[in-house]
Amino acid sequence: MYLPSQAVIQDITIENSRIKTYTLAFTDKEYQRNFSYAPGQFMMVSVPHCGEAPISFASSPTRPGTIELSVRKAGELTSRLHSLPAGSMIGLRGPYGKPFPMEELAGKDLLFVAGGIGLAPLRSVITFCLDSGKYGTITLLYGSRTPEDIAFQADIEMWRKAGVDCRLTVDESSSDWQGNVGVVTTLLPQTMPLSSSTVSLVCGPLVMIDFVIKELTQMGLKDEDIITTMERHMKCGVGVCGHCHMDDKMICVDGPVFSKKELTESVAHFQEKPTVT
Amino acid sequence: MSAAYILAKDHLKSFVRKISKGSRLIAPVTNEYGDTLYSEINCLDSTQIDTQHQPQSSIKHFFLPQQESILSYSVSQAGEYHFSNILIGVPTVFFGVRSCDLAGLLYMDVIFSNPAKDPYYFKKRENSIIISLGCNEPFENCFCNATKSGPFLDFGFDLRFTDLGDRFLVEPGRKRGMEILEEFAYFFNDASEQDLKDQYQLQLESRSSFQQNVHVDLAIKKLANEEVGKDVWQDLADRCQDCGGCAYVCPTCTCFTITDQPVSESEGERVRSWDACTFAGFTRMVGGHNPVSSEHSLRRRFLHKLKYDVSLHNRTSCTGCGRCVGICFGGVDIIKFISAVCES
Repeated sequence: MYLPSQAVIQDITIENSRIKTYTLAFTDKEYQRNFSYAPGQFMMVSVPHCGEAPISFASSPTRPGTIELSVRKAGELTSRLHSLPAGSMIGLRGPYGKPFPMEELAGKDLLFVAGGIGLAPLRSVITFCLDSGKYGTITLLYGSRTPEDIAFQADIEMWRKAGVDCRLTVDESSSDWQGNVGVVTTLLPQTMPLSSSTVSLVCGPLVMIDFVIKELTQMGLKDEDIITTMERHMKCGVGVCGHCHMDDKMICVDGPVFSKKELTESVAHFQEKPTVT
Repeated sequence: MSAAYILAKDHLKSFVRKISKGSRLIAPVTNEYGDTLYSEINCLDSTQIDTQHQPQSSIKHFFLPQQESILSYSVSQAGEYHFSNILIGVPTVFFGVRSCDLAGLLYMDVIFSNPAKDPYYFKKRENSIIISLGCNEPFENCFCNATKSGPFLDFGFDLRFTDLGDRFLVEPGRKRGMEILEEFAYFFNDASEQDLKDQYQLQLESRSSFQQNVHVDLAIKKLANEEVGKDVWQDLADRCQDCGGCAYVCPTCTCFTITDQPVSESEGERVRSWDACTFAGFTRMVGGHNPVSSEHSLRRRFLHKLKYDVSLHNRTSCTGCGRCVGICFGGVDIIKFISAVCES
């Protein structure tokens, strides 16, 4: 259960100065063929001599053959990974975690709210929705620090052509930026009024998630219709090592996807929870 | 065959020698510094098994070593990156295992069975024979009566020994225990009615002689229904030195970390080591952000044992061994916490 399988980096897309998307395939072709996963799940990624880190799928299982993981350069492992050229081998084990409830979301209007690398797991969901065609309208609100930091630009272009209402904002503008300036919550009023079948999927920095969830609640979304995915320090990915312990939940097996309802019901009295209210 | 047998004390060494032939033998031994530890015994003739003192550490580290290489990996010149399992399980006889430590082992069986059997743990576990020893006299900090894990745990062992003075009462538990009794039947006589009465009397006396009076049940009920006062946490946090000692001596603290230890440019080992949820860095993420404030580390440890494990597994994972009471120089032990909860 801790044994990684070898995967080759087939392609690398530079999303911005700190984020790269890796297209990967298991070198065992049989294993690759039988490999399945769902949006919202994650893999434990091994890089030689650097240990492991949990990384969410950025790709959708509707496009088999390879998987994509988007990685922000942050620590030792991710820095080493960023230095590897295409053709290099890494180790992967998984998939782990509870995915987004794709079945239950069928037919709903989806409002995605993302910040920075937080778009990676939602990219998996958006691609899944577009490929399967079973979902309602799709709106994406995406916040970045500066115009140069806007990641997944090629995807955003494709999504726009496919009918996704993509609205971008940056915290700090530069001279040639024509779009919205301000944190991602400043885009929320533009989406009003929300249809009665709207479900929102939120991912980004913890502070952003907090503010977005508060505003979505004020906009009338029910707790079960606000879904987020959480990031924690993890070592095993299978609910044993204890690191992602949150009340009686383990983020790695009980999450990382949680609805606001699940968060407030199960960890309402727990101070360790993020300040979701 | 009756369900209980008698082994004369004079025959203990030869019996232990027989059953541990070809196996490693682990039993409590008091070393030259006066420390009683579960130790590997290579020569029974020159080593005295100590059945009188409480071992200072549990048997946890024989199943979940403090540091254990679980995988080896290689990186070839061409970049091939491969892992292979390192599975080590030496056939081992554990003699003289106290009820609290057996209860800890049974808890680890549960923890390492989900979501699948942990191969490194079970390689050791399945190679073990557990012979427990009832505690005629509770030790200074013991409260296993309150956690319902002793002083004479009735299940989970292969054989259970009770010290009746000049003889041991021996009872089979799991199938392997019965097989041992059948294989070495010549060591044993059937226990008499009086032997069983003697054991019953000893158990009664033991249960009535605990020095610690700890209301675990009440604390569990209160924790399930109420928040613990901020002052209680603050008082404990002020005294915690973040040393991890409590987690290390605890029979049921199983949190671990995993790191790579390169041996050379082209190879290395992936190592699983003990971690402690009381360490400030336990939840710290890359870049230094910690989603869990450090003042909550004690809360995590105590509530895990007395609240979350109760809701998940229907029983506390504290086995009442009292070791965290003895090891903490700040006095931040589980008895103090339970008392504070009960009094608040």
